[in-house]
Amino acid sequence: MNLLMVNNLLMLAGGSIDGDAHMDGSQYWGVTLAGLGIVIAALALLVIVIFLFGKLFDFIHSDKKKVQSAAAAAKAPKSAPPKPAPPAPKSAAPAVAVPAEDEDEVIAVISAVVAMMSEADGTVYKVRSVKPVGNGYAGRTAWAMDGRRQNVAPF
Amino acid sequence: MLQILQDILAGLWETSGLYALAEHPGSLIMMLVAFLFMFFAIVLEFEPLLLLPISFGMFLSNLPAVNPEDMIFHAEFWNQEQTVDWFWSVLHDGGLLDKLYLGVKLQIYPCLIFLGIGTMTDFGPLIANPKSFLLGAAAQGGIFFTFLAAALMGMTAAECGSIAIIGGADGPTSIYVSSKLLDGANSSLNTGTIALAAYTYMALVPVIQPPLMKLLTTKKERAIKMPQLRTPSKTEKIIFPVIVTLIVALLVPSAASLVGMLMFGNLLKESGVCDRLVDTAQNALMNIVTIFLGISVGATTTADNVIQWEFLKVMLLGVIAFSLGTCCGLVLAKIMNWLSGGKLNPLIGSAGVSAVPMAARISQKVGAQTDPTNFLLMHAMGPNVAGVIGSAVAAGVLLSVIAY
Repeated sequence: MNLLMVNNLLMLAGGSIDGDAHMDGSQYWGVTLAGLGIVIAALALLVIVIFLFGKLFDFIHSDKKKVQSAAAAAKAPKSAPPKPAPPAPKSAAPAVAVPAEDEDEVIAVISAVVAMMSEADGTVYKVRSVKPVGNGYAGRTAWAMDGRRQNVAPF
Repeated sequence: MLQILQDILAGLWETSGLYALAEHPGSLIMMLVAFLFMFFAIVLEFEPLLLLPISFGMFLSNLPAVNPEDMIFHAEFWNQEQTVDWFWSVLHDGGLLDKLYLGVKLQIYPCLIFLGIGTMTDFGPLIANPKSFLLGAAAQGGIFFTFLAAALMGMTAAECGSIAIIGGADGPTSIYVSSKLLDGANSSLNTGTIALAAYTYMALVPVIQPPLMKLLTTKKERAIKMPQLRTPSKTEKIIFPVIVTLIVALLVPSAASLVGMLMFGNLLKESGVCDRLVDTAQNALMNIVTIFLGISVGATTTADNVIQWEFLKVMLLGVIAFSLGTCCGLVLAKIMNWLSGGKLNPLIGSAGVSAVPMAARISQKVGAQTDPTNFLLMHAMGPNVAGVIGSAVAAGVLLSVIAY
């Protein structure tokens, strides 16, 4: 069976199966296995090539950044010594810096959204605390998150 | 006197459309099906841009006509061997829809639609996560396992290939393959019936896929959150279509027309210097081709072509192809999730069956049902666009092994 299959795979190139004819077992098994195998092999080759290209571009970009940061360091005035680094925050989560005067505004916006939700489903919510999220969503504003949610909600 | 009056009335009756309709009740059934499809398109908004032209084409070609010269579409033209003389006879004696259908038979429309799709597709998620290509490849399992099923049902190689390609969930690819393999003389099937089945199941993706997705994944798997993808540079996006075309054309030359046009459209878009061409390809050209394709494919669904057991077999094998494609994508995604230590949500595997962007939306929707804060759409777009390339490659493989 295996030898027959290999023989069939070798035969397949160049339209070896007559379109008008009924196929025998080795032919249709050959097309199924060889066809799926060729599609997976072709796309696997694309995976490797695109992956390598991605790495190459990452390398080029990181190299450019290094050169730029080195140039920036060389240009920096010598008279201004670098300020001491601020103490590390106690929280492990990378908090989004929000100026004190904006904080109330952010909480007001969140409260307004929660109030809209409570109006929609009839349940009353109380905002007890607002904390920055430390997972993959950090760095996006609440507006960006809400906009994204609205955009994908219909799907 | 009475006899003359009777003869005149009988003559009028026999030359009327009503007489022709009474002689061919199948046409009446097809007209009712056309009205049903119009209802689906207009009221339920099921793929209206395609379903409405298809249903009106169906209506037009099933309208009774006594004189062959009056007919807008001649089914008999397409059920014979297609030689050079035959082309001349279509141009000389054919109706409007016969002439428009030449664009299908000559594989012009599917390639132009691929050009338009290319200008609208962002391959960024695929470039950022090239492993998605594998999911796009696995979902093509639906095509090849259906090929096997069709062969076991006793169909010819050309019929098996034409039906199996429905599993690619890609209308233009189905039309491209079936118009090459089925020449009218070798099968009772035709491109119109294959396209009708393909577009019907594409419209039914939201019905077919979710139960399979829930069946093959656990709640814990569906809740997996995937890390944000990196943003590829403009240079990467410009090089990508050229590399894909080069590799695919070298490996599977028969797929070069489809993949080449898809990637040409994408290159126009990513280059950023051909805005006018991009605008035309994705709007005016795409709309014109969709109208011509829809109405002429709809016209091929005459009663004689559709009301037969073979069409039922096509519909049955079509749903098998779709389901198998979805399952193959999900199973490979589960394996990849296991290998990556639980970092890949298996729901994105089902998006490998093309049907852009519907299948990716379904992944997003089913994921959001488990966890509303889970955003899978961009992750699912990778396998989704990979599925388009995968189904074009699968089409190329079928065309290179089956003589036509």
